[in-house]
This record gives sequence, C-alpha cells and structure tokens, in this order.
Amino acid sequence: MLEIRELTRRFGEHTAVDRVSFEVPAGLMTGFVGGNGAGKTTTMRMVMGVLGIDEGEVRWRDQPITRLDRRSFGYMPEERGLYPKQPILDQLVYVAQLKGMGRVEARTRVQELLERFGLGERGKDHLEKLSLGNQQRVQIIASVLPKPAALVLDEPFSGLDPAAVDSMVDLLREHTRDGVPVLFSSHQLDLVERLCDRLVVLAHGRRVAAGTVTELRDAGVPRFRLVLGGDAGWVRNERGLDVLDLDGPTALVEVREVGAEQHLVAEATRRGDVHEFVRVRPALSEIYREATA
Amino acid sequence: MSTAHDRERAWLLVTRREVVSRITDKSFLIGTVLMVAMIVGFIGFTAWQEERTDEATLGATPEAVAMAQAVADAAPQVDDKLEVRLVELDDDAAARAALEADEVDAWLHPVDGDWQLTSESSEQDSLTAATRVVVRQQVLADNAARVGSTVEELEAGSTVGTEFLRGDAERAAVAEAVGFVFVFLFYFAALVFGMQLASSVIEEKQSRIVEIIAAAIPLRHLLAGKVLGNTALALIQLLVYLAVGLVGLTFTPYKSYVPALSGPAAWFLAFFLAGFVALACLWAVAGSLASRTEDLQATSTPLTMLMLVMFFGGLSLDGRGQVIASFVPPVSAVVMPKRILAGGVDWWEPLAALGLLAAFALATVWVGERLYRRALLQTGGRVSLRQAWSAAE
Repeated sequence: MLEIRELTRRFGEHTAVDRVSFEVPAGLMTGFVGGNGAGKTTTMRMVMGVLGIDEGEVRWRDQPITRLDRRSFGYMPEERGLYPKQPILDQLVYVAQLKGMGRVEARTRVQELLERFGLGERGKDHLEKLSLGNQQRVQIIASVLPKPAALVLDEPFSGLDPAAVDSMVDLLREHTRDGVPVLFSSHQLDLVERLCDRLVVLAHGRRVAAGTVTELRDAGVPRFRLVLGGDAGWVRNERGLDVLDLDGPTALVEVREVGAEQHLVAEATRRGDVHEFVRVRPALSEIYREATA
Repeated sequence: MSTAHDRERAWLLVTRREVVSRITDKSFLIGTVLMVAMIVGFIGFTAWQEERTDEATLGATPEAVAMAQAVADAAPQVDDKLEVRLVELDDDAAARAALEADEVDAWLHPVDGDWQLTSESSEQDSLTAATRVVVRQQVLADNAARVGSTVEELEAGSTVGTEFLRGDAERAAVAEAVGFVFVFLFYFAALVFGMQLASSVIEEKQSRIVEIIAAAIPLRHLLAGKVLGNTALALIQLLVYLAVGLVGLTFTPYKSYVPALSGPAAWFLAFFLAGFVALACLWAVAGSLASRTEDLQATSTPLTMLMLVMFFGGLSLDGRGQVIASFVPPVSAVVMPKRILAGGVDWWEPLAALGLLAAFALATVWVGERLYRRALLQTGGRVSLRQAWSAAE
C-alpha cells in the first residue's frame, strides 16, 4: 500500500499542496481528480521524488519510501515524451536498463509489450513518426517496465481513443490483479467512475473527498424522491426534511433528522397512493462540482 | 533486482546512450567526414603549392643565347621551383613579336654593355631574380678571369652567417600556425559539443523524460553520463582530426616537424580533456536553466562569451600576459598548449597549469551538479542562476 501523509509543497507564497493525505491500496485503482491547478501533478511528482517535499511523508509498505522503492515504480509524467528522435525499441530498452533490468531481458520484455500493443513491427521507428495514440502506447509501455511495484500515472488517458483506453485499462487491470496499487489522475469523470475502485478529490491543494465511488455517493445528506397519486404540496409541512424540489405529485427531499424519511413514507401511505419512493444518489460529477466549488 | 551494482553503472548506461545516439546520427557523421575532408584538402593544397614548379620561357637573340642558356641551366639551382626553357629568336623585332604573342615570358638581351630583361609586366619575379643571380655570377667570373683572379677570391670574407638564439623563424611560424589550429579546434569542439550537450539536456527536460529518469536514477548519474559521453565523443573526433592532420603533414615538406609536434599535441589533448569537462558541466547547467530550446540562446550567453574570450585570448595574448593566462583556468586550456608549442616552457609549468585546470573542472562539476539538479526539474519559464542555486529540491 502506498500512503501519502500530510504532504505539503509551497512555491514561494503559494501553497500548491496543503497537508494532503490519502492511501492507494494494493490491487486497487485509485483515481485522482481535481481541476487544473488543484495540485494533482505536484502531489504525484512528490510521490515519485522528482520534486522535493516541504512537509509530510510518503510511505510504502509501512516504511518511509526510499529511492530504490521509487525506482521500482512505474511513472508517467504529465506532459509526456520520450526521446522524439530515437527508435522506440532502443529508448524503451534504455528506460528498462535504467530501472535495473539486464539488456537482453529488457529487449525481450519490450518487444513483447510492443507486440501486445500492435507496435511489434515499429521498434526501429523514431517516436515522432508514430501517431499520437501510438506515442501514448509507447509511453505506457515505458511506465510498466520492468514489472512495476506501483503505478503513478498522470493523465494516462488524455488523447486516447476508446479502443486504446480499453487496451490500456486491460493492462492496468493485469497489474492490479497482481496486487499492484495504481494511482492515476484524470479530468474525465465518467472514465474515473467506470474504472476506479477508489477516488481522491483535490481542490485548491486540499483533499476535499476520498473513498470508494459508492462511499462518496452515500456520504452526503441522504436524498429521496417521492412520487404520489395526488399533489405532494403537504410535504412542505413535514418535520426534519428540506424540500429541494416540488413539482405536482413529485417531491425531492433531503433528510435533516434521522428517521424523518420513515415518517414521510408512513404519512404518504396514510394519505393515498405512493408510486415511488427512492433514495437518490448524486452523480459523481455533482459530488465533484460540490466538493471543488 | 535493484542492487548497488546497478546504481553504480547507471552513469555508464547514460554515457552509452549519449555516444550511440550521436554516432548513429547522420548529421554528426557527415560533419565529421566533411571536417576530415577539409583537413586533407588543406594539407593537400599546401603540399601542392610547395611542390609546384614554375615553368618560364626565356627568349634570346643570337648574341645572348650563350648567357640565356647559362640562365636556363643554372635556374633550378638558384630557385628549386623554377624551370627555364630557352627559346632562340632571330632578331630584336622577332623577340618583341614573340613577347607580345606570349610565346616567351621574357627576353634577355645586351644593352650598352649591360644586360636587360624585357617582359610584358613584372609577373615573372622568380625568373627575374634567377636571371639576376646567374648573369651576375657569369659576368663576375669573366671579370675575375680578366684580372687574373677568381670569384671565390674576390668574395672571400664577405659572407654574413646567421645564428638564432630563440629558434629559427620557420619553426616559430609553424608553431604559430599549429597554435592557431589548436585554439581553433578547442573552440570549435567545445562550442559544437557544448551546444549539443545543452540542447540534449533541454530535450530531456522539455519532454519530461527527465522525470522518468529522475525517478529511476540519481540525477548526478545522468549529468555524469552526459558529460562523459560528450567528452568522449569530442575527444574521439579530435583524435581523428589530429591523426589525419599529423599523418597528412608527413606528405608535405613540413614532415620534419611531425615528431616535434607530437609532444605538444599530447599535451593539447590532456588540456582539452580537463578544459572540456569543466565547460561541459557549465553547458549542462545552461541547458537545465532553459525550459524550451528557444531559451538556450539567453541561458548560454555567458558561456558563449567565455568561449569567445578563450578563443581571442588564446590567439592574441603574448609576453607576460600569455604566461599569466597559461595558468588561469579555463583560458589556460588553450594558452598553455600554445606556449608548449612555441617552446621555452619549464617542465613543471604544464603540470601546474593542468593541475589548476583539473581543480577548476572539479569545482565546476560540483557547482554544476548542484545547479543542474535543482534547475532541471523546475518547469515553466527560464530559471535564474540564483533561483537554481537556492531552490529547495
């Protein structure tokens, strides 16, 4: 498990990351969301040790993280790029060697991964000759070399077509299946909601929410929608409830006092037909918008 | 998987990549081949210039044929690049016609008991000089015989010998020329490889691959690998140029200087090595301060100025200034080899200068490493030296 504790980074007067704490559990995909300038990239760079930490610490398997630990991590920086004018096979082997792999072993593994992404024939091509999507694939290959102990990916899906996203997700899932923790940042909430086991929301350098998608959606004040046979105007007079919206027979309420929704249902059935009574969970985008507002 | 052994050779991997990616680069190869072709061409041209003989035609009317024949026979002994061919002409009118028709280069004829050489213009300097010498010897010999003496007797005691306390002029000229070549090669290599190093640093910074590398190995290793790789390349290229130059020189009349040049050339390489390492670290810093290739112009200005100072200092300094500069790094890297070439340097002087230069290189490596490490991961615009020095990591 990768653990981020009270991480803080200042640039002059500006505090880019302010006492941010969260966990990236083994075998789970943790999504890292937040607007531009929220501090995601700064946090990830601190986790990878390419940016100094002002306060707080990063822990790996219950110990303070070391350079050797980080060396075993896979990392994909924000504005990507390997060497534009070097053959992709050569530079991937180079990256693998820097991470401690032997030359022969590295070649085999790189070739294997290139083939898997349909780039087996293009090892001798310069990176800049590849389409953007293929460059992205090369980038992801670079981050999973050799076999990463953890993955830290900054916007790995930006610029990918849906098919590429799927093949990348498959690759990531293989790693989580082996117990590798994956942290990735993204703007694309729908994607995060679909892929992530867990979610950390950052706004203005602070962590504003964290948990599984269900936890987050359940975390707010419970809301219910009530659809009656007749007019729902009477709901306004019920205790312990805030009426958010009222439209003829339909009412959307927020529960202020525990148990108030039970009284509401009882009262509704006493008064007539109840067509619908359902818990309403906010969409992730809604939570995100509220959290980062 | 990750052992101390792996970390130790991280710099070696970087060095390897620098060298391999460069020597497989077409523009680098073409540049090197062109430079070698230039050196060969220059030496070939010099040799041809030196070996070439002038052929001149000398016209003579019957009364001057004997004298003209003597000139033609003796000319190669007077000037080893001159060959004179005799053309016999019938009379003065024929001689003038031949001159105007460019059939002869000059016309030798007696005038009022003296001799006259007539030509269209003064182009035939070597022919004129040779004719003067030969005619004078001939006439002198005749006159001497008339008074019952010999030329040797008349000239006895009139020669002025020469002796040079500071070596002869030709050696000094060769030392000056080779000194220029040394200074130029240093300047050229340091600028080309320095620029290359700086732009490869920017390439890594701009593409953020440096973050991937930084997460895998200490940045010190990255810097060491890049500096060593480029130094090795510069040195190899320089060795090729020097070897081609020295071997080429053996085909010219200057071949007697080759053994004498080998020693200074070896010193030059040693000074180049220390000087280049020092400058390479600074070039790497210049690269790391920039965020985009466009910034390099600005961040490398102090360095290009330094290089110009070294270039012109190396060429123009003499006397006491030269002696002082030959100990001051990094200028000593070009000035001391030049002094060694000129001769008159005590054995300890190059060693002391090299020691100082090496110490300077160590200092720039230390300072450079700190600046490079701190500036490299800062993004968004140019980084000032002060920012880089005091930045938190």
